[in-house]
Formats: sequence, C-alpha cells, structure tokens
Amino acid sequence: METEDDLCHNNWGSSSSKSREPGSSDGGNQTFAGFTSQQKWEDASILDYEMGVEPTLQVFDEMKASGQANVDFLQGVRAQAWDPRTMLSNLSFMEQKIHQLQDLVHLLVGRGGQLQGRQDELAAQQQQLITTDLTSIIIQLISTAGSLLPSVKHNMSTAPGPYTGQPGSALFPYAREANNVASQSQNNNNCGGQEFDLPKPVVVDERESHVVEEHEMKDEDDAEEGENLPPGSYEILQLEKEEILAPHTHFCTICGKGFKRDANLRMHMRGHGDEYKTAAALAKPNKESVPGSEPMLIKRYSCPFLGCKRNKEHKKFQPLKTILCVKNHYKRTHCDKSFTCSRCHTKKFSVIADLKTHEKHCGKNKWLCSCGTTFSRKDKLFGHIALFQGHTPAIPLEETKTSASTSAQRGSSEGGNTNQGMVGFNLGSASNANQETAQPGMTDGKISFEEPFSPMNFDTCNFGGFHEFPRLMFDDSESSFQMLIANACGFSPRNVGESVSDTSL
Amino acid sequence: MSTSPSILSVLSEDLIVRVYECLDPPCRKTWRLISKDFLRVDSLTRTTIRILRVEFLPTLLFKYPNLSSLDLSVCPKLDDDVVLRLALDGAVSTLGIKSLNLSRSTAVRARGLETLARMCHALERVDVSHCWGFGDREAAALSSATGLRELKMDKCLSLSDVGLARIVVGCSNLNKISLKWCMEISDLGIDLLCKICKGLKSLDVSYLKITNDSIRSIALLVKLEVLDMVSCPLIDDGGLQFLENGSPSLQEVDVTRCERVSLSGLISIVRGHPDIQLLKASHCVSEVSGSFLQYIKGLKHLKTIWIDGAHVSDSSLVSLSSSCRSLMEIGLSRCVDVTDIGMMGLARNCLNLKTLNLACCGFVTDVAISAIAQSCRNLGTLKLESCHLITEKGLQSLGCYSKLVQELDLTDCYGVNDRGLEYISKCSNLQRLKLGLCTNISDKGIFHIGSKCSKLLELDLYRCAGFGDDGLAALSRGCKSLNRLILSYCCELTDTGVEQIRQLELLSHLELRGLKNITGVGLAAIASGCKKLGYLDVKLCENIDDSGFWALAYFSKNLRQINLCNCSVSDTALCMLMSNLSRVQDVDLVHLSRVTVEGFEFALRVCCNRLKKLKLLAPLRFLLSSELLETLHARGCRIRWD
Repeated sequence: METEDDLCHNNWGSSSSKSREPGSSDGGNQTFAGFTSQQKWEDASILDYEMGVEPTLQVFDEMKASGQANVDFLQGVRAQAWDPRTMLSNLSFMEQKIHQLQDLVHLLVGRGGQLQGRQDELAAQQQQLITTDLTSIIIQLISTAGSLLPSVKHNMSTAPGPYTGQPGSALFPYAREANNVASQSQNNNNCGGQEFDLPKPVVVDERESHVVEEHEMKDEDDAEEGENLPPGSYEILQLEKEEILAPHTHFCTICGKGFKRDANLRMHMRGHGDEYKTAAALAKPNKESVPGSEPMLIKRYSCPFLGCKRNKEHKKFQPLKTILCVKNHYKRTHCDKSFTCSRCHTKKFSVIADLKTHEKHCGKNKWLCSCGTTFSRKDKLFGHIALFQGHTPAIPLEETKTSASTSAQRGSSEGGNTNQGMVGFNLGSASNANQETAQPGMTDGKISFEEPFSPMNFDTCNFGGFHEFPRLMFDDSESSFQMLIANACGFSPRNVGESVSDTSL
Repeated sequence: MSTSPSILSVLSEDLIVRVYECLDPPCRKTWRLISKDFLRVDSLTRTTIRILRVEFLPTLLFKYPNLSSLDLSVCPKLDDDVVLRLALDGAVSTLGIKSLNLSRSTAVRARGLETLARMCHALERVDVSHCWGFGDREAAALSSATGLRELKMDKCLSLSDVGLARIVVGCSNLNKISLKWCMEISDLGIDLLCKICKGLKSLDVSYLKITNDSIRSIALLVKLEVLDMVSCPLIDDGGLQFLENGSPSLQEVDVTRCERVSLSGLISIVRGHPDIQLLKASHCVSEVSGSFLQYIKGLKHLKTIWIDGAHVSDSSLVSLSSSCRSLMEIGLSRCVDVTDIGMMGLARNCLNLKTLNLACCGFVTDVAISAIAQSCRNLGTLKLESCHLITEKGLQSLGCYSKLVQELDLTDCYGVNDRGLEYISKCSNLQRLKLGLCTNISDKGIFHIGSKCSKLLELDLYRCAGFGDDGLAALSRGCKSLNRLILSYCCELTDTGVEQIRQLELLSHLELRGLKNITGVGLAAIASGCKKLGYLDVKLCENIDDSGFWALAYFSKNLRQINLCNCSVSDTALCMLMSNLSRVQDVDLVHLSRVTVEGFEFALRVCCNRLKKLKLLAPLRFLLSSELLETLHARGCRIRWD
C-alpha cells in the first residue's frame, strides 16, 4: 500500500499543479487584483449549461488561489486520507480558501464602476482566474469526500499501481477496459511509477477517473482534432445524457411546448402576447445581453460518457466545440445506429443527417478493392492499391451486367443483386454465364472436315443428307447449314432466332 | 521410293535439321510433304505456328510438341466455347506456349481468356490488340497469367484504369505494354503501372488522354527504353521536361502528332538523354531551330529521326546530318523547304542511310536522288511519293548504284515512265514497289519489272491506266513470289489479263476495284489459281456474274476479307459465298442492287458466328431481324452502317 499511496500522491500533486498553471500565473494575479467584472461573472453561465459543477458551489463566491497551497493541500489529502483529523484540517483549509475567493469577488463588486473603461482581456483573465480557483476547490472537495468512500478508495489506489488481481473486474463495465487498465498498470510499474505527469483535464470530479482509457473514436469531427487549447484556457461544460438526447431543448415557459432552436421558440413566443414581439425579445439573447463587447471565456464541451476521449476525464481529453458537436458525437459514438440506409441495407447511422448524406452517394461511384474496402474516389482506391501489395480493384457487377446483356444469346445467368452496393461486385475474376460446355463426342478427338457446299444441292433445296452429320467438336459448317435449313423450311423468324442462339455457340 | 532408300537416311538428325533450316518456307512445305524425315524434323523443331482453322488446333498442338508461339489472330471461329473444349481435352499440351496472339479475336471473352491464361503456364507474350470489346473483365482474366512479360492491348476500347490495375497487380513483371487507343485509361492507371511494374522497358501510350502527370510517373521508370506517345493531345513541353531528368535508359521516343509539344520539349528530352537512338517528332515541331541543332550535335548514337512536316532549311539539314553521321533513317516527308542542296549535304554526311522518306518534298529533283544513290549504297527504302520533279534520270542512278533497295515508293510521280521502270528493274532486290497514279507507264515498262524483279512481293499499280493485259501477263509470269497486288482502276485490264493472275500461287492480297471489263470467267480463273487468297476487293466490278462468285465460293477457302460493294451478285450467290467461305471475317456489302433484304438476312445468318467486321447500307439496320444483329454484336462483330 505504501507504493500505491506514493503513486497516487504523485499523481494528484502533478495533476493539481497542472490545473493551476494557466490561471494562476503571476501576471494573472496582478491583473486580478486590479480589475474585475461583476456583470461578467453573472454571465459566465456555468449554470446555464449544467456543468458537472454542482450549483451549490456558487456559494463559494470568492477565493484567492495560491498554487503552492493547492499542491500542499492535495498532498495532504492524499497522504492522510483516512485520518479524520486530516479531514478536518482539509475542510477548514477549504473554508479558508473559499473565504479568500469571496473577498476577492467582493473587491471586484466594489470596483464595478470602473469597469466600463477596462480592456476586455483583463476581464476575461479575472473570470478565468476565478473559474480556475473554483474548479480547484471543487477538486479538493471531491477528493476529500472521495477518500471517505471505500469503493472509490479501492479503485483509486489500485489503478495506478500494479494490478492486484482482486476480483476488481466487476468495477469495469467491459472486460476490455479491465485489460487495458491491467496492461497500463504494468507499464507504469515498469517505468518506476513516475509516469503520471500527463496532462489532466481541469475538472476531475468523477469517481472512476482512473478507468479512463483509450476509447474507440469513430466518426469524430475532424475540426476538433487540430485545436490545441491549453487546459484551463477554456471553460468545460458537460450536458447530461438525457439532455443530449432530448428532442427539444428550448421550452415555452407559458405553454410548455418544446423547440429545437431558440429562434423557433422566440417565434412561437410572439403568439403569447405583444410583449414578446419587441425587438429586444426577438433578438438573440447572448448578443443582446453583452452589447459591445468582452468575449466570454471560450466554452468547450465534454461528453458525459466515461472513458470517451471527449470526456474531460480522459488523459488526452479533446473538448467538443459546440452543443451540436456534443449531440452528434454522443449519438454517433455512444448510441445505437438505428437508421439503416434504404439502398444498401448495410450501412447504419445514429445521426439522421449522416444517413441522408450517405444515401445521396450510396451506390454511386463505389470503388471497391479486392480486400473489401470501399472508396468514394477512384484516386483513393488507386493509392490504396499502390500501397498494399496484392490488392486489386474489384470489377463492379454492373459492368458484367451490361456485357452479359450485350451477349444476349449467351443466356447469361448472373445473380440479380444489382443495387446492393457492397455486395454488387464480382470479386472473383471471371465467372461468366455458365454454358453447357461439354459436347457429346468431343473427347473422341474426332474432327469433321468441311465439305464444300454444293451449289446443286442448294438450288434444289435438298438438304436431307446434312442432318446425318454428327455434331462434332470443332465442326463449324454444320451450324451454317442448319441455318439455311431452318430458313429454307420456312421457319418463322422467332424460331430461327432461337436456332441462331443454339447453333452459334 | 522403294528403289532408293533416300539420301536422307545417311544424314544424321542434326544435319537434317540444319538442312531444313536452310530451306525457304515454300520449299520446306514441299520437302515436308514428300519426306517423312523432314516431317519429323519439322514437327520437332517448329516453334511458331499460325492457324487459320481452329478445328485443327488440337491435332497441331499434339503434332508439334515444341511450339512456343501460337498465332490465333486469323481464326474466325475462335470463341470461349472452343477454348473451353480445348482445355478439357487432356491430350493437348500447352505447357510450352510462351507467346499467344489473339489479335482481333473478338469472340473470346473473359471466360476463354482466363482458361487460356491458366492452360498456358509459361505464357510470356500476349497480343489482344483490336479486340475492341475487351474491357476490365478480360483484363482481369488476363491477369491470371502471372508470368506475363509483354502485353499488347491496342484498341481494347473498354479497358479502364481498373482493368489496367488488375493486370499491373497480377503481372508485375511486365516489361513491355502497349495501351494504344485504350481511351479510358487515365493518369491514375498509368501512375499505378509505373509504380508497380518497375521493370518496364517499353511503353506505348499513344492516343491516350493522359496529362503531364503521367509523364511524371513514367519518368520514374529506371529501365524504360522505348516510349511511344503518338498524338497525346494533353501532353506539352512541361511534361517532357520530366523526362529530362528521369528514365535514364531511354533510347527511343515517339512524340509524333502531339499537338502541344514543341521544340523546347524535344530539347529537354535530348538534353537528358545523350545516348538516345530514335527520335520521332513528326508533325509536332514547326521548324528546326539553331538551338535544337546545337543539342542534336551531342547525340552520337542517334540512328533514326523523323521530323516530317517541319520547316527544315537546307542549311539546318546539312548541319543536322553533319552532326549525326550515324543516322540510318530520316523522315522528311512534307518538309517543303528541303531542296537539292540540303539533300546533297545529307548524302555527303550520312553514308549509312538505309531509309529515306521524302514524300511530298516537291523541290527535290533528280540531282538529289543521284547524290543519295551514289553515296548511300546501303539504301533500302526510298519514299518519293508526290515528288513531281523526279524523272528517269534520277531513277537511272538508282538502278545503277542502289542495288540493295528493297522498297521504292513512286506513287504519284508524274515523271516516272517506261524508261524509268527499265532502270528501276535493275534493282534486283526490289520487294515492294508502289507505282500508283503513275499514268505514264505502259506494258513496256511493266514488262521490264516483270522480267527482272523476281523477288517482288508487293506491287501497287493503282490507277495506272496506261498498261493492259500484256503487262499483267508479264508480271504474272515473272514475279512468282508476289503476294500483294493492287490493280484497282487499271481500266484496260480484261479477262484475258486477269486470268493470268492465277499463276501467282502465293498471292494473298488482290485489289481489282473498278475493273469494268472483267467477268465471272476472270474471277473464276483467279479463284482457282490463287489458293492463298485472303483479301479480295472486287468493288465496282459490275460485270462479274454469279459464275465467278460460285467459283470463289468453291475454291477460295482461305478468304478472310472481301469487298463486294456495287457488284451484281445475286441472293443465292451471296448466300453461297457467305456459307462456304468459312474463314471470312470482314465483309463489305454496300450497294448490292440484286440482293434482297431476305438475301442479306440469309447470307448473314449463315456466317454470323465468324464475322468480325461488316459494312452495310444504313437502311438495312431496320430491315434485318434484331436477332441477327444481336447475335452479330454478341460475337464481337462491328457493323459500319454506310
């Protein structure tokens, strides 16, 4: 347990020091002392988008953050997690910090009048500082509280250290994750347990924070990947699952009707009376409330799904940019794919817009490799082929269809799965229409030589003798004669056509 | 036979083989027929065979176990089913076959091709050119021949990048590929080809709509020696610049008719490849400038240069020839600025010249020809089409000095007369002679040719209205090895003369277009005598009656192509022809006034399984039965509606 404690200790220390870094730099502190914005604080809208932060935290209004104190405090928390006295000192320490913060905000309120002339970025920095302090308080609170819960305690202690072999798998929702944890723990152990100085999200509020593992990323918005905001330079909001999946997010306060967009709600509100028809009531709320001015702290969103890379607990957390991104991400990654493409019946989607996009292109220009991979563009397929040895492009069945239809007489019998994008390819090389290939007598090796076609016979239409000709392997004159016979005997054109298809093979 | 036990029995096997190898092909046949020893030797030593009747194929494959090259390009009935039956015949050994010619075998499709590819494990060379229906599926089938080294796919019209990719991946050891007229191929396909088939030595991308990007990929081919890109409309000098620093082994480049290529592109090729041997830039450079000549000077190994259609001044021709003294072939057709001065300079400098093309160089006179004949004693081919100033004097020096001339093109040279022909006839090695539109020649001149040019293989007398039956008789007596004879619009000819043609037993190509005086008798005589006839054009021979066609149907079993336009052939005769000429693949049947729609229907039905090309009057499209047209199409027959 000693080693485990040490590991945890280091971990916590480093993570908290990380968390303070951006917000509580010296410059930040200096500006902080001078300028603040009460109004800004009100608008910070932590409450608007239910963060993981509990609303009661608003009670802690003000606190001056001290980085060093933070670290010390946290180290204290971890080192003596089981001591009630330590707990008490922790709590008092927190109380102290909250008071500090309170004072600070009071100060800001007092200087509210000077605000107007101040620069936007200063205000933003102040807000950022306060947010950072608040979040660190929250971390402390939670970790303090967390140490009291036995199951969490166990979890926290085992995960960073070597896997102890207890029946802990029950704690993991999936066996795979458990394995990951195990392997990761091994790695950490090998590296001397000092490898925990990884970037941590600002807010750490979840019990199973150590179960955070690489979660499979599928259809993520690529635009997000490039963004490289330093942790703490933005505010993280996390919507609950129910809220993400709710069909409507804006509700009429009068009749309760739900809307997807607040613009639609405002349109709706006009029906409830003239007071909703004013320009102010119809304008976009955000723009209106901050008339000129200071940009708010950038908002980023976290996915509520634990273990997801988009969840703030993740080591390589990458925030989502907008609520729409959150919704799409959550549906794409963590929901069932309930919409099936009506064309290929294979592709499934959880976001209906994705389905529509796919259906637009489904079946068209499908470039398929022999390995089964499809490409929407030919050059991508050729790049793939150039890259992987032995891969070849598959020849679409449509082409075989047309070639089969051109050889009308061949009576081709190819499968009818034309519009099944994925299936509609002929992976095998050449399986043309099957024909009766074997001819009786062909193995005899006999070859009939053609007889010159006697003019006399033709004139008198005496073809009787030709019927006696055996049909042999490469006999090619006979079919011609049959044609003539067919015509001479007054076959109807239809029948003649059939005889063509029979004999010319 | 029983009296003397044959002198051959004393010779050892290897001696017989060597004797046999020394014989001419016609003599070989004779010996084969009379001597079992030679028959045996032939069956053991023969490595190549060209087959007209696919029904003999199994026997032949059995008889010749050492065959390595099989030419099926003239088998009209070859199709998938034949191939499959062949494959099922256990006695057939195809293991040794390395080369397969399936040119124009439009009835063989993917199934048959795959069978063939699997049957012949050792396959290295395949020619499927002019199989216009071939596409990606056929290419995929071919790709199962993994050992393929050379592939010719000219005019496989449906072949796209996908098919090419199949081939490229399947046969990555390719070192020669021709994709001429495969119009669907784009940069992507070429790029993949160059990435995977790194051993490529010869590449033909003529007529493709590829851009400079392809050239960039091609330039990465380290072993490439021959690059043909005739008439690539999208390639310009920028593309050729990639070649300057790429493809270090390049020896032969053909950029004929590339509209956007100019001299600077050529210069960049030349700058990067001082060892280049062949440069064909006809009809794309407008003039030969001083800077180009500067770079040409460095090319010590240049053997062939074609700059047809460019403005080449005499001085630049002289300096060109003085810097490239090893030139063996030069193409200057339509270089209208060339005069005797330039030609004399060329003759002085390039003593090894073998081929010279001066077609449409109107200012070239006898002086130039004399100079060439005297200096360039190795001259083998001389093309003087439409050089109107050439007279008997020039031809006299040709006859005196150029004993090695094999090919002489004097089409449309007014100055050629009987005396000129007398001089020419001294070139005893002459094999190809073109005298089309030379109206000043008569029986007398033709008599000289017939009596002295016994090695003549091809003779073109198109619209030489001045000679008649006697001349033709002399030709038929003297030039026994003729296999190609063009007598179109020689209006003096009658049955008497034409009957003499039957003495030419090797004749395979005969054009008798517009001979109003010949009748069935003449045609019958030809048909009975020229057993090897494969091509016959009797368009506008209105007086040939059915008896001639009956004879043709009876005798000319090898006929592959026939033009019967404007002939007075009847329904029955046409049916006879089409049913009995079992090798016919290409037929022109326009303006047959005596043939009814039913006659056409009958005639085409009997031969619909072997036709590859057909020309008909457009209204018949709606009168013939749709089954017939579908069948024709399915067999790979292309119909031109006139």
